[in-house]
Amino acid sequence: MLEYAYLIPLVPAICFVIVGLFGKKTPEGGGYIAILGSIISCILSIAVSYEYLTGKLYSTGRSFEMSVEWLTVAGFKINFGIYVDILSCAMMFFASLISMLIFIYSLGYMKGEGERKRRYYAEVSLFLTGMLGLVVSSNFLEMFIFWEIMGLCSYLLIGFWSFDNPDAQQKSSAAKKAFLVTRLGDVCLMGGLFILLYVFHTLDYTAIFGRRFFSDSIFYLGKMSINHYLLFIALFLILGGAVGKSAQFPLHDWLPDAMAGPTTVSALIHAATMVKAGVYLLARTSPLFIICHRGNMALIIVAGIGAITAFFAATMALNNMNIKKVLAYSTLSQLGYMFLGLGTGSFLIWYGFYTISFGVLGLGAIVYFAAVFHMFNHAFFKALLFLGSGSVIHSCGTEDMRLMGGLVKKMRTTAVTMLVGALSISGFPLLSGFWSKDMILEAALVTGEYLYYVFTIFYILGMAAAFMTAFYMFRMWFMTFSGEPRENAQHCHGESPSVMTFPLYILAAFAMFSGVVVIYALDSVWQTWFGTNDILEIVLTSKWTPISVMVALVGIFVADLMYRMRVVNPGWFNRNGKGIIYRILADRYHIPQLYDYISWKIGYGVACIVDYFDRNVVDGVVNGLSNVVIGNADVAKKMETGYVRDYTLLVAVGVFVLVLTLFAVVKGVI
Amino acid sequence: MEIFGIPLLTSMILVPLIGAVITLFMGGSKSKYAVWVASLFSAVTFALACYLLTIDTRTYADLTESYNWIRAAGLVINASFAFDGISALMVFLTGLLVFVVVIFSSGEKDRPNYFFSLLLAMEVGLMGVYLSSDYFLFYIMWEVTLIPMFFMISWYGGPRRHYSAIKFFIYTHVASLIMLIGIFIMVFTAAGTNAIDFSFNAVHKGLAGQDEIFQTLVFGLMFFGFIVKMPIVPLHTWLPDAHVEAPTAGSVLLAGVMLKMGSYGIVRICLWNFKLGAQAWQWIMIALGIISMIYGAYACIAQNDLKKMVAYSSISHMGMVLLGIGCLSEIGIQFAVFQMFAHGLITAVLFMVCGLAGHNIGTREIPLLGGLAGKLPMWSFFMMFGFMASLGLPGLVGFVAEFFILYAFWEFIANTQYMWMIVFGMISMMLTAGYYIWAMQRTLFGDLTDKINLDHVHDINRAEFFALAIMVIMIAFFGIMPSYATQFIDVSAVLVGGL
Repeated sequence: MLEYAYLIPLVPAICFVIVGLFGKKTPEGGGYIAILGSIISCILSIAVSYEYLTGKLYSTGRSFEMSVEWLTVAGFKINFGIYVDILSCAMMFFASLISMLIFIYSLGYMKGEGERKRRYYAEVSLFLTGMLGLVVSSNFLEMFIFWEIMGLCSYLLIGFWSFDNPDAQQKSSAAKKAFLVTRLGDVCLMGGLFILLYVFHTLDYTAIFGRRFFSDSIFYLGKMSINHYLLFIALFLILGGAVGKSAQFPLHDWLPDAMAGPTTVSALIHAATMVKAGVYLLARTSPLFIICHRGNMALIIVAGIGAITAFFAATMALNNMNIKKVLAYSTLSQLGYMFLGLGTGSFLIWYGFYTISFGVLGLGAIVYFAAVFHMFNHAFFKALLFLGSGSVIHSCGTEDMRLMGGLVKKMRTTAVTMLVGALSISGFPLLSGFWSKDMILEAALVTGEYLYYVFTIFYILGMAAAFMTAFYMFRMWFMTFSGEPRENAQHCHGESPSVMTFPLYILAAFAMFSGVVVIYALDSVWQTWFGTNDILEIVLTSKWTPISVMVALVGIFVADLMYRMRVVNPGWFNRNGKGIIYRILADRYHIPQLYDYISWKIGYGVACIVDYFDRNVVDGVVNGLSNVVIGNADVAKKMETGYVRDYTLLVAVGVFVLVLTLFAVVKGVI
Repeated sequence: MEIFGIPLLTSMILVPLIGAVITLFMGGSKSKYAVWVASLFSAVTFALACYLLTIDTRTYADLTESYNWIRAAGLVINASFAFDGISALMVFLTGLLVFVVVIFSSGEKDRPNYFFSLLLAMEVGLMGVYLSSDYFLFYIMWEVTLIPMFFMISWYGGPRRHYSAIKFFIYTHVASLIMLIGIFIMVFTAAGTNAIDFSFNAVHKGLAGQDEIFQTLVFGLMFFGFIVKMPIVPLHTWLPDAHVEAPTAGSVLLAGVMLKMGSYGIVRICLWNFKLGAQAWQWIMIALGIISMIYGAYACIAQNDLKKMVAYSSISHMGMVLLGIGCLSEIGIQFAVFQMFAHGLITAVLFMVCGLAGHNIGTREIPLLGGLAGKLPMWSFFMMFGFMASLGLPGLVGFVAEFFILYAFWEFIANTQYMWMIVFGMISMMLTAGYYIWAMQRTLFGDLTDKINLDHVHDINRAEFFALAIMVIMIAFFGIMPSYATQFIDVSAVLVGGL
């Protein structure tokens, strides 16, 4: 089965071609074909994961790799192939499962789109190809190809309504921003790949990391003699790619705008594909960060970017009135946790590796797992929240929460499943988000306490973000579902069709239980390898866990006071929308203006100067030269008068000069 | 190797030549059949070009053909043809583009017999340049390409066609005269006291052991002639003017294959003969390449005419070719040649799309367009595909070339104090994405334009669709399977590599 893993991205790719060419002739614009493709991919990923995890390769700590030669370039070979390890298993499992559910949901959500459905289903199939290709690819160049295909698809899908639509201008602008901002990261990543290719003479995972995974690959890499200075630069460039794709500060601003696409696309981008690719890249390359001599610097920056984004994105969600934008900021914030987790975990491993203390190394590995685990959990609850909000929008016809309210009576399924999602993302005990978030934050605290004080700051930022998360998620839930129905909510269509609610149930089940299941599974794996059950111990017996729980509960309680019980008036905090902080948050810290300013000045401003220079100086010289030639010809032309007397005079003068010269030569004057 | 008794390489030139003559005399009532004759002859040429690709690369030496031409006053001039890896891709590209362009322009109503005759005459010249292995023939063919292009622009062009055609002709002709001086110095020096042999190999042998000053000087003369053709900033201003006025078919051939004559000449003649000269000029080549890339990309951002924007993007992409050549490494030259091929494929789509904008919509001015994706879905698809391919989207042919050229550059500067210069490559990629995405936003997306009359706007017809579809398939195929093209270049890279 493992050797058929290449089919996982190939099947949606074939669906893309079929739907793209013949979608118009099939029912639902090819929707059923796209769904069939995603179902096959999902089954294949589960089968491949199952076979890998139960097989001999996994139990001996090795990864599966199979590749063919793609391109021979002077001296080295670039391969194309598949690579399966535990990380790609986890990724392809949630990516294909969630995409499948989103595709099914789309049948209901995109019902009224008519002709455009063909384009929609073709593009989402290609999107899925990109993500699945990314996670099973066996080298960096192949990964980069799928990485960019995803960038293209997100551009197309964010701009899905960028023509023949009243808001076309704003939507096409959002699509442009998404493409160009992520492209900035991609260009950096490409530079990183150049360095890796130069340093290692190959881009194959197996050749760089060795055939065994993680802990072994660190020792494998550590023994290699490589140029650490170049590697250090490469790490920053790779980080730049991950920051662009995963929308971390300062390249985060495309993601809130990306809400211009259909809600299903937002769910796809936020939960299953796109932004997860950046985290995946960091998780995949973390052995490189660890073995680099100055890698700790880079890792502190990774963790710092994560902590800052977690905090800073959460603040912007506090006062937003758009249900999708709140979710978008929460994605930024949660991705920040993943970066924080990966940075902290890898930092611990780096420290353990250099001081040869296996305890720290093991703890780091647990935190690394926690970050990947958070990505896994986040995929489910974020897909749930987005699809839930899609159901609300579908029914109410607006995205503004001020026009909703009281929907719990009309849309019970949506309300209940979204409540599960909100509890899970807030870190309510025993739901999936709780486990991973708590592990990440506690690791930051421990690192700050014993190794490097900066991590304590990261912990505080993370805790503040956790409080805000609980607050704004429940603010969203209460504003949407509780209280009196306002304008649009009064004539909403009621509950969405079952093709849309059925995915919600499945996702809600995952949002509830995936944490417990995975954590126990991890713990048992850990036990077989190391003989201790550290993971459960850390999560359950830490003295800091109650604080996390308290923070989440207080956040929910405050939201309850303000938006359900209405004991505290929210207008009191923001002076009814006139407070300075409120304005800054609503203007997103003026970062969009900064983007515009930079691109307008460095892009268009310089371009106008170049254009002027080109027309007047470069071309001016050319035309000037030709004018000089023509002008001289005009002067010379005047000598050709056509009168015999003028020519006679010229001949006479010529003869005179000639004779004079001859005479001078003979006399020896010259 | 022969085909129907005619040597293969000779037939590559004879077939379009016969076609050009036949179509030329199909005036009057017969002129509506000119397109059929032209497509037949261009299809045969393309088929021959495809057949050439199937030949085992190790037997390329057997393909050489030579005819005595001039034997007087101690001159030895042959009409000789040779074929190798670099020619292979260029010949294929020429055959493909002429065939596609004939189909694309099948609706031409204005004196179609001359139009198609000029196209085929251009093919004769282009094939001649890429196949000849004698400097005399090479120079003649080089000039032969100029004349049909001149008439193409001045007969079938836009409002300022006479200015552009003359500018194009004089500018490139002056450059080729400088190149001619270089050729003379080369040939006469190589001959010494022996008979003056113009063939590539004889000159190469004769030039062995020349000192660095001579090599640098002659390299410079030839190089000047070639970079005007490519064109490289600051010798580029004839190109945007020529493109803006040229008909679509002319633009496609001009950007698709004629510009490559310059870079082909640098690889084939300059690098091959003057290894020391190349090293002396290396940093100048790199600097000019980088300047062209960034300057061209910036100029694109400011353009309002779609076609002029695409013309400047050609300058930017040809700058990348020069950068690859300037690295003087096997990988750099290999992918510079591949970039020539890739750019030829992609730019054909771009110019066809821009031509269609002028023809089907009535204007190419970006500020007048907007929201056309809903109105012209097929045209929009091809435009988007072309733009995406040109900005280096992975999975399409442009990416492979760009990635490895920039890698070759990185390999050259890594571990030196010039390491930071790789930033220029990234800036140019970023700007390229910027102007294409912005142009797309302003033409295809947003609110439907009300500045032009949309009553007569129509989507592409069947012939145009067919032509564009062929190019799209080629771009995707060579993007996914680049080794089918790079396998030819391996041979030539060994030839010039190891500097």
